[in-house]
Amino acid sequence: MTDQDVILAIVVATALAFDFTNGFHDTANVVATSISTRAMSPRLAVGFAAILNFVGAFISLEVAATVAQDVVEADAITPTIVFAGLIGAITWNVITWYYGMPSSSSHALIGGVVGSTLVAAGADSVLGDGIVGKVLIPAVVAPIVAFVVGGVAIVVCYRVVGRQRPGPVARGFRLGQIVSGGLLALAHGTNDAQKTMGVITLALIANGNLAAGSDPPVWVVVSAALAIALGTYSGGWRIIRTMGMRIIKMDPAQGFSAQGAGAAVILASSHFGYPLSTTQVIAGAVMGAGAGKRLSAVRWGVAGNIVVAWLLTFPAAAAIGAVTYGVTHAFGSGALGPVVVTAAGVALVALAFTRRMRQGAPVPAR
Amino acid sequence: MLATLVDTQALAQTVLAAVLGGVGVTLIFSIAILGAARFADLNRDGRNAAAVASALVAFVALAAFAAAIAFGIIVMTSK
Repeated sequence: MTDQDVILAIVVATALAFDFTNGFHDTANVVATSISTRAMSPRLAVGFAAILNFVGAFISLEVAATVAQDVVEADAITPTIVFAGLIGAITWNVITWYYGMPSSSSHALIGGVVGSTLVAAGADSVLGDGIVGKVLIPAVVAPIVAFVVGGVAIVVCYRVVGRQRPGPVARGFRLGQIVSGGLLALAHGTNDAQKTMGVITLALIANGNLAAGSDPPVWVVVSAALAIALGTYSGGWRIIRTMGMRIIKMDPAQGFSAQGAGAAVILASSHFGYPLSTTQVIAGAVMGAGAGKRLSAVRWGVAGNIVVAWLLTFPAAAAIGAVTYGVTHAFGSGALGPVVVTAAGVALVALAFTRRMRQGAPVPAR
Repeated sequence: MLATLVDTQALAQTVLAAVLGGVGVTLIFSIAILGAARFADLNRDGRNAAAVASALVAFVALAAFAAAIAFGIIVMTSK
């Protein structure tokens, strides 16, 4: 086994670890509305979301193609660059998880890879047009569309059922949330698992195992699907609380509208290969469904904090990815750098996890 | 400048699909709930003909809801 093979194995393991943290981190986005409206118990919602995340990973490969081909120049990439980008993304995910902020795993991943590529291969290797056209503009448009769709949907919904007795209507929308929540989990699985597939494919192309422009191999699709589903099942209760309880208090109709809006935006975007932030979209839809009922229902202060975390995500993950590449490169071009950085990363994650658990176990949303 | 970087047609189609899907599915499901709720009320009041009509509205709306979701998933998997 050559040094390059060892690095590739570390990249694949790191990418799957990122996928796991992505599922872990984003569980809240997918299940918070179902839990806060009591459409499902937390345990059932998380299990259901995990299964549909797994299924969702198989329904499209457009986003994986974007990540593998439209963000950085595949010819200039090495497995070590991909590794450094992944460490940037995982580190930012752990930091935001530690502080209970629902930032974007997707922008962390793309930011990390862009940062390490900038340092390792120069600005010419970063595909600015692809990043602007396929990542940044959809990143701005998607949450706004989700906000508008969520807001219009709840207004339409209240127009239709507003004069009915609230009990049966609430029960109906709680049942509907089983479907809308399932669709959202499916949408999350297809958009987010594909980012990991794209990154592993990029590393395989960089290592010469695949030709440029190849689709992800089946083992990559299956392992990415499994990793995100396991991460989702493991859950992120801290962020569930933020998403489900602190932005707005929802009734089942709002929950249904928000989930339907989020799923529609993510599925439509996945179809066209836009690797957007499911976190941003779902939060946008939740705020839209809240604002559609009453503007003051949205806790804008909490929403503002989330926006700040989003704005920081791309540059912060890029900076961590760049520094990680520098540290890795300092150990030479062999496997020693990635091995040392991985060991340090695992130790830091374990430390953060232990500290967070000592400070208080995550509190399930009621 | 921006138009050269962005595939505006794909972006517009994404927005249109999201708006139609998100609002349309909510509208259809709301009609299903309206039909079911009215069926329960009318049935309790003994207005059987109106109750059956409401049940029919609920059934058709639910079928349309299921069809819309199936259509969305088929479109996703067909590319």
